[in-house]
Amino acid sequence: MTTARRCLLAIGATALTYAVIGALTDPDVKFGALIFLVGVLVAHDAVLLPVTVGVGILVGRYAPRRFRGLLRAALVVSLAVTIVAFPLVLGRGRTVDNPSVLPLHYGRGLLEIYAVIWATVAAAAAVQAWRGRSRRTAEAALDLDLDGES
Amino acid sequence: MVRNADPELSPDTDPGKLPAAGSHLADRLKRAVTWLRQPWPAPPTALRRGPMKRGAFGSRLRSPRLTSLLGLGLAVAFSVCFVTGLVSHFIQHPPFWFEWPSRPAGLYRVTQGLHVATGLASVPLLGAKLWSVYPRLFSWPPARNLAHAVERASVAVLVAAALFQVCSGILNISRWYAPMPFFFTAGHYWAAWLAIGALLVHIAVQLPIIRQALTRATPDRTPPGGLSRRGLLATVGATAGVITLGTVGQTVAPLAGISVLAPRRPRTGPQHLPVNKTAGGAGVRDAAFDPAYRLTVAGPARTVTLSLAELTALPQHTVVLPISCVEGWSSVGTWTGVRLRDLVALVGVDPDDAEAHVESLETHGRYRATTVPPPHTRDPWTLIALRLGGEPLHPDHGYPARLIAPNRPGVLQTKWVARITARSTS
Repeated sequence: MTTARRCLLAIGATALTYAVIGALTDPDVKFGALIFLVGVLVAHDAVLLPVTVGVGILVGRYAPRRFRGLLRAALVVSLAVTIVAFPLVLGRGRTVDNPSVLPLHYGRGLLEIYAVIWATVAAAAAVQAWRGRSRRTAEAALDLDLDGES
Repeated sequence: MVRNADPELSPDTDPGKLPAAGSHLADRLKRAVTWLRQPWPAPPTALRRGPMKRGAFGSRLRSPRLTSLLGLGLAVAFSVCFVTGLVSHFIQHPPFWFEWPSRPAGLYRVTQGLHVATGLASVPLLGAKLWSVYPRLFSWPPARNLAHAVERASVAVLVAAALFQVCSGILNISRWYAPMPFFFTAGHYWAAWLAIGALLVHIAVQLPIIRQALTRATPDRTPPGGLSRRGLLATVGATAGVITLGTVGQTVAPLAGISVLAPRRPRTGPQHLPVNKTAGGAGVRDAAFDPAYRLTVAGPARTVTLSLAELTALPQHTVVLPISCVEGWSSVGTWTGVRLRDLVALVGVDPDDAEAHVESLETHGRYRATTVPPPHTRDPWTLIALRLGGEPLHPDHGYPARLIAPNRPGVLQTKWVARITARSTS
C-alpha cells in the first residue's frame, strides 16, 4: 500500500470518526437520522435498483434491437428527472400563507420535460432508422456490383 | 466498489518491512494483521442463489472503466458539494479561525447556488454509479475475512451516506420535512462528513483499480444497437444538464422561464421577492404593527431607542443586494434604510471594529437572532432596511425593519429587527 493510499485511508477514517461522534453527541440528529440512513439504502438497493434492472431486462427482451440503446437512454433520463421532481409534484411543502413556496405547476413541468426527452429520442431513432436504411441500400448496391464482377 | 483485484487492505503486510523481531509493537501489529486477514470459512454453496449466482447480471456495459469514470465525476461533484456546504455551515456557525468577507456581495449566492445545483446534477451520476457496481453487492462469498467485511461495511456507509445527502437535499429544497425524522441541517452536516470520510476510504482501497481503469484503454464490449459506454456517459451528462436547466432558474433569473421544476421563482413573492418565513408563521404580526414599536440599539456606554419615524429621519441609503437562501434560490432587491455602522456609531462604538448582535421580534426560533461579524458590520452596504423597491417592507419581508448585508445566507438576514447590541472587537 502506497503512502498516498495510507494518507487517504487515515484522513477518511478520521472524517468517519468525527461524523459518528458528532452525530451521536448532537441532540438535533437523534435516532431518526439513522432510520433515514438505513431507509434510503434499503429503498435504493432493494426496491429502486431491482425495478430499474428489471425494466432493463424487459427492454433487452422485447424492444427492437437497434432502438434498445436509445430507449434505455430515454428511460434513464426520465427516471432521474422523476426522482428530482417527485417531492415537488407532490407539493407537500406548500403552506397556505406563503404562495412564493413551490409556485409552479410541477406536474405539468414534469410532463413537459418528458415530452422533450421522448421527442428528442424519437427524432434520434428516426435519424438512426433512416441512416440504417440508406446504409442497407448502399450495401445492396455494392452487392449488385460484386455480382456484376463475378 | 470496482472489481477487487487488490484485496490487500491492511498496511504493512510485507513481513520484510517490519522491524527486527523482539519489537513488541511490530509483533502485535503483525498479529493484528494476520487476525484481520485470517480467512473465514466459506459459506455453504447451497446458499448461493438468485443474484448471487455467477453470471446473474448480464449487462456487458458494466466495467471497471465505466465505474471509474462515473466515480471520478461523482468524486468531483461531492467535493464541490462538501466544500460549498462546509462554507455555508461555517458562515452560520463560525469557528474561531474562520472569517467570511462581506465582498464580493454575491459570493454566497454563487457558492450556495452551486451547492444545490451540483447536488441535483449528481442524481444521475450516483444512480448510474450504483447501477454499475450493483452485482458487487451480491459477490460471493459475502466476506472472505474480517478486513474484507470491514471494507464492505465502509462501502455500505458510503452508499447510504451518499443517498442520504441527495435525498435529504431534494426533500429540503421541496420543503417536505415529514419523511425526515431529524433536524435537516444537522443530519445533512454529519452525513456529509460520513460520506466524504467513506469516500476517501473507498478511493484508498480502490486506487490501483481506478488508476488502471482510467489509464489503460478498455474495449467497449457492448452489443451494437444497445447503450454503449460512451452512450451511457453521454446520457448521464445530458440528464445532469436537463435537471440543471430544469431547476437552476431559481437563482439564475434569466433561466426562470425554462426552469419548470424550480422550487422558487426569483420574482415570485410579495414585492417580487420570495419569502421563507412569513410574519404570520413567525408570530410577529401584532408586534410588527404595534405603534409602540421601538428599535433598541445598545452599546457598552449608552442605549438608544428609535421609533420608526426616528429611523426614517436618519440618513437613508439604497443598496442593490441579493437574498441568497441556503435552499439555493436567490433574488435581488433594492433596499433602502439606515447603515448598520451608523447605528453602531450612534451608541459610541467604533463601527470599523465592531460586531452587532441583531435580535428579531420573534420570541423563539433558531434564527431569531444573529451576530453580524466585523467585516459585515463595517461594510457600508449593510443596512437595517426599511424599504424594498421604494415601498415600505412587506410584513413577510420584515416590516418595520430588517437586516440586509452583502454576502450572507438569507437565514442570517434577520427580519422584524427589535434590538441591536453593538460590541467593540478591538
